[in-house]
Amino acid sequence: MKGSRGSKLPFKRVAAVLAMAASCVGGSAHAGWFDYNDGKVFLTEGVSMADGAAGGGAVPWAVIAGNETRDGINGNVHFTYVSLPNYSALIPGAAIGFFDRFELSAAYAILPTGSTFDTVGLVNSVISGSSTSSTIGGVEPWNTTIKMQIYGAKVRVFGEAIYDSDNWIPQVAVGGFYKINQNKALLETLGANKSKDFEAYVAATKIFFPISTAIDITARYTAANEIGLTGFGGPNGDSRKVRFEGSLAYLLAKNIAIGGEYQQHGNNLGGHSVNLGTSSLTSVTNTLAALGLNGASTALTQQHESSWADIFAAYAPAKNLSFTMAMLDFGNITFTPNQIGFYLSVAASF
Amino acid sequence: MNPIQSFKPLALAAALCAAAIGAGCAGGDPVANRTEGKTPAIIGIPSDSVEKFGGQAGIDVWVDDLFYYILADNRINTIFTTHGHVQRQMALNKELENMVMGGPAHYSGASMSAAHAELGLTLTQFNAVVEDAYLACDAARTPYHVCNQLIAALAPFERVIVSR
Ligand code: HEM
Repeated sequence: MKGSRGSKLPFKRVAAVLAMAASCVGGSAHAGWFDYNDGKVFLTEGVSMADGAAGGGAVPWAVIAGNETRDGINGNVHFTYVSLPNYSALIPGAAIGFFDRFELSAAYAILPTGSTFDTVGLVNSVISGSSTSSTIGGVEPWNTTIKMQIYGAKVRVFGEAIYDSDNWIPQVAVGGFYKINQNKALLETLGANKSKDFEAYVAATKIFFPISTAIDITARYTAANEIGLTGFGGPNGDSRKVRFEGSLAYLLAKNIAIGGEYQQHGNNLGGHSVNLGTSSLTSVTNTLAALGLNGASTALTQQHESSWADIFAAYAPAKNLSFTMAMLDFGNITFTPNQIGFYLSVAASF
Repeated sequence: MNPIQSFKPLALAAALCAAAIGAGCAGGDPVANRTEGKTPAIIGIPSDSVEKFGGQAGIDVWVDDLFYYILADNRINTIFTTHGHVQRQMALNKELENMVMGGPAHYSGASMSAAHAELGLTLTQFNAVVEDAYLACDAARTPYHVCNQLIAALAPFERVIVSR
């Protein structure tokens, strides 16, 4: 089995280096430079979370992506679609798992904001006196789309989520993301402090077979607003803090899990209105009033950012294909309240 | 935030790690090496698990099904045909599975470390047996939730059965 199918893959040189690094951590030697392996048991790689790492839907877990065991390398490609009243998101991504020890991931979030920023865009156009498609403050008159690259790495530190059913020590991994939001001007308009930032996390995962339940608790050190889609930090500067998140999954069958998640969010932008050019919106209220846009000032004040919650069902019709469906309650996002919607994600591993 | 504070979880992790390794070394893994008694799984294996499995007769059917799937599994069957003693293994597994779930059976075979040490088994091969174990539950119509009681009871043996 070893070194056979994977040898055609293009990333072999990188893989070789990382494989060496991973096998050092793992403390065992591996013969081939690319040890393809698909020995994990059903669903024990978790699914792919929104940032691209292995986990639940929003929470990174201590499990490593791909179907490999400690004997080799595997990976996945995944695609997530989110639909909310005022937003949608498309997130394609991929991850590689090395020896069930080390994981690298990349994802690209594309978020059409639909109607949300149209108001901001139109007000901008009116104030600037331009009725055509002028882009001010990173906001298009119609359908501003936010794009963000997410790079992740994760290493398993200790513990055994699956096999050590006789002790409480969870499987623990540490990881991080580096996120590059490409809509710098828009983020300035919203008052975010940064458009690129890192996040670091510690995740603890354990499966409790007697009650067919998996639990994960993760602490993330982050300044993200809406996972970075509306930037990092607020007008009062960078405030990276430890936030908690967790998932609970009940295993209904060997290939079906249902459960819920919670992810604590910060409130860096809540109460802050949009910044237009050099002036904040407040200074142009008169202009707006003259234009009959009296309510615009309140409509363009950002709401208190809500924490995220979801309930999900994950189904793996084959060992290397999983579908996750979720109902989301994301609460307030920027100007818009009641963001209740759904999530659909597909992941294929090799 | 104070940078020292953010390193606290890591320090705790390192301490737990050391404790875990220490526990594993001391006494050469009393749980995975034992040849008697129910598996002390966390949360606990319910006392009616053997009954839910169909008693000894139900366990016997499950072991027959397990070896049917193992011998049909091209990933691992040659290990059993070249190094195994399938009749003896089936008889001993019927005792062992009853014992680890808290039943009255007396296991008369070797410890899991002694039985598998020479085989140089990988986790990938171990997981193949786990998949066959779930298939055997399906074949015997043992509900998934009941099957997981046996999985909880056998899982710690991984530490001594897998030697590579
Ligand atoms: C939790 C999982 C496992 C359990 C409970 C288990 C149980 C047993 C038992 C009760 C015996 C008989 C010991 C004796 O003869 O005194 C045995 C032997 C054996 N097992 Fe396993 N086993 C497990 C996993 C595996 C795996 C993953 C393989 C290989 C893929 C394997 C291959 C063998 C072989 C070849 C023997 C015969 C050794 C000999 O007769 O010298 N076992 N096992």
